[in-house]
Amino acid sequence: MISDVLEQLLHGLTLGAMYAMVAAGLALMLGVARLINFAHGEFFMLGAYAFWFGYSELGLPYAVAALLAPAVMVIFGVAYQRGVIRAILPRSWHVQLIATLATSIVLTNLAIIVLGAQPKEVPTVLSSRILDVGGLRIAWQRLLVLAASLLIFWGLHRFVGRTRTGRAMRAMSQNREACAVVGVDVQRTAMVTFALSAALAATAAALVSPLFNIFPDMGTTLTLKAFAAVVAGGFGYVNGAIAASFLIGLTEALAGSYVSYAYKDAIAFLIMIAVLLWRPQGLFGRRIGI
Amino acid sequence: MRRAGWLGLGVIVVAAPWLVAAAVPRQQRYVLHVLIFTALFAALALSYDLVVGHVGSLSLAHPAFFGVGAYAAAILATRAGWPFLAGLPAAALAAAGVAALVGVPLFRLTEHAFAVGTLGLALVASVVANNWVEVTRGPLCITGIPKPTLGPLAVTTLPAFYWLALAALVAVGVLYRGLTTFRLGRAFHAVRDNEPLAGAAGIDPLKYRMLAFTIAAALAGGIGALYVHYLSVMCPEEMTVALTVNLLVIVFLGGVGSLRGVLVGAVLFTALPEVLRLAPTWRLVIYGGLLLLVIVRSPEGIESLLRRVTGARAGR
Amino acid sequence: MTALLEVRGLVKRFLGVTAVDEVDLAVEPGELVSLIGPNGSGKTTLFNCVTGYLAADGGRVLFRGRDLSNAPPHRVARLGVARTFQQVSVFPRLSALENLLVFLQQLQEEHLLARLVRTKRVRRLEAEAVERARRLLGLVGLSAKADDAAGSLSYGQRKLLAFAGALMPDPELLLLDEPAAAVNPTMINQMKDHILALHREGKTVVLVEHNMDVVMDISQRVVVLDHGQKIAEGPPEAIRQDPRVIEAYFGR
Repeated sequence: MISDVLEQLLHGLTLGAMYAMVAAGLALMLGVARLINFAHGEFFMLGAYAFWFGYSELGLPYAVAALLAPAVMVIFGVAYQRGVIRAILPRSWHVQLIATLATSIVLTNLAIIVLGAQPKEVPTVLSSRILDVGGLRIAWQRLLVLAASLLIFWGLHRFVGRTRTGRAMRAMSQNREACAVVGVDVQRTAMVTFALSAALAATAAALVSPLFNIFPDMGTTLTLKAFAAVVAGGFGYVNGAIAASFLIGLTEALAGSYVSYAYKDAIAFLIMIAVLLWRPQGLFGRRIGI
Repeated sequence: MRRAGWLGLGVIVVAAPWLVAAAVPRQQRYVLHVLIFTALFAALALSYDLVVGHVGSLSLAHPAFFGVGAYAAAILATRAGWPFLAGLPAAALAAAGVAALVGVPLFRLTEHAFAVGTLGLALVASVVANNWVEVTRGPLCITGIPKPTLGPLAVTTLPAFYWLALAALVAVGVLYRGLTTFRLGRAFHAVRDNEPLAGAAGIDPLKYRMLAFTIAAALAGGIGALYVHYLSVMCPEEMTVALTVNLLVIVFLGGVGSLRGVLVGAVLFTALPEVLRLAPTWRLVIYGGLLLLVIVRSPEGIESLLRRVTGARAGR
Repeated sequence: MTALLEVRGLVKRFLGVTAVDEVDLAVEPGELVSLIGPNGSGKTTLFNCVTGYLAADGGRVLFRGRDLSNAPPHRVARLGVARTFQQVSVFPRLSALENLLVFLQQLQEEHLLARLVRTKRVRRLEAEAVERARRLLGLVGLSAKADDAAGSLSYGQRKLLAFAGALMPDPELLLLDEPAAAVNPTMINQMKDHILALHREGKTVVLVEHNMDVVMDISQRVVVLDHGQKIAEGPPEAIRQDPRVIEAYFGR
């Protein structure tokens, strides 16, 4: 019994790690560039398909395919940024929301047309190997997800905290107008942030794809849950989004197992709604900056 | 001169079933079906524009209210044998009730969180519709919803349904006009355009946003009831995010905040894809692409073009 | 003689900065008071706390003896307190006339049905409102612009419109935030005349102002804030020579 609960906890952590990587990217864009990106989940979806293509179709080794996904998505992200984001960034957030929602619809349906609506499976060596520790069974891939995500978060923390670009990102999130005055390259920083958020989503996809099915619609629900985490964590505050993501992942896994599997998708929103009812500014309040 | 034009248009619209029967006798059923859909969608878009265009709250929850009304009417008709004239107000009330309940906490949020919150509501409603099988029959759908009866009259033929849908559209249109002009309209627009100043003018923004939100939800629920009585079937797929995208396209490309704009948008974006026989996926790709293009290039939509052409006055 | 507006020990903090630090202020009916102080001394913050846009962290605000401390802006407005904003604020998409009509909404609220159906009574109220609005537009010299969108007016014209709007519901207390800022000298004189006219009518006016000529010219009493604290209070001539005030503006 205890091992069951522990297994679910580990599943929850894996889920939470995935949500956290996606939500972190979203929070970064929100905090640094004030951009509402409803197509964010599609970076995950396309990244998953890129991984599938590399691993299943091209037969690349896992590590290469897993790095291919973020690489492809960064290129796509830059192109998208040039084409669409740059045009909508100075506009009202209504425009941003509708534009990115439209993008999401276009990408999802194009994926259905080009890649087919049938879910694809990408089992890897690690996803089928199970680690058995005294009755507690967990796929190696899940451990990889957890370890990789911790590494990524540590890297992100250092990047934002130590590098010049990271400092520019923090400055932009606190006071955008002043940035242009002191010589921060606002456009370039925004682009780097965008590429970073796309890479985070795609990496999460590459890590998690061996465990779940890949299908064109997977981005939509993910975007919503990531937003729920971002909102619950305190709009634009990256660590808050990460914390909220783990909370959502754990609750989803436990509730999915012990309460109801069917409604687990609604869990994220119930949490967000509960948090907002208690503190309308999110768990970590109105902090200034990312 | 212009009066004659409007009158002529009115006559054509009312006489449509006969004109269609004469012009395309073999496509009659299909064309009428498209017209009915267009009328219902136009009414739904108008109700949505109340919230988005006139009070300025970007709600993404409209499918939830449509769905609540649709399912309420479907369940009351099939399980409890309620007649249409009783089910319709019940559906509207149910939707309004949900809106009143969630509106209060939702409107406490900042604009962005509000949008996400409403999106979440739509998702939760969708999940419930899919999984609460005992009530909604989930993916199996509720079937066998009878044709509506207006007292002794049974609305069984397509032309009759067309006139019913048209009457609903007119009713919604009249209500829309009444709500968005004169003092109430001014109050809504004040809240939309400058909320702090509206407060200083003694206007309670929450009260007016809730009013628009709840009325819009009631209308959406009522239209949902009409919808299910027309199709005889209600499935969870009818209340997904795709519906929101449809509505956003109609409202933003047609002309947000304008009766004429929304009507034009509804006709264009409901009838056109039907005429072109687009597959749903391609339709969404094109819609999304168009929406993207227009919103990036010209946010006011077709209405601003129309305005420039007809030279309407400022201050609307 | 209870003061019309009474602020007792008001405190407002933002992220470690105390913007308003235990300020006491009493305004008698019919007074014309100016609130001055260097930039960042807390004047507009004080206004925002009094009119319900900010929740105070301490102290109380009383209007005619009633506690306003937690009232939202629309409730404060309905009690008879009107204000203008530092960043000139109008409803850009409504016409100048409609802008003014909005300010009477609170006084003419009827139940929903009356708003939908234009009964005789509603029509009459609307006509009266329009008449009053036209009169005020005439007062500030904007009659010609009555049907133009407020967003199309010049800065000065919008300032006058906002001023007229504040007057529409015939408020007892007027809080004007920098009425003489960023406008040409002719307009400044216009504003001074309008404010003095209000004072003669017996209205209570409190201004926040940086323009010392205006302040010294028209005020009955001047209150000085610095770093959130009230450092001086008295008639204009006394304030002009008060060493603490001089130090606050020039000394550091």
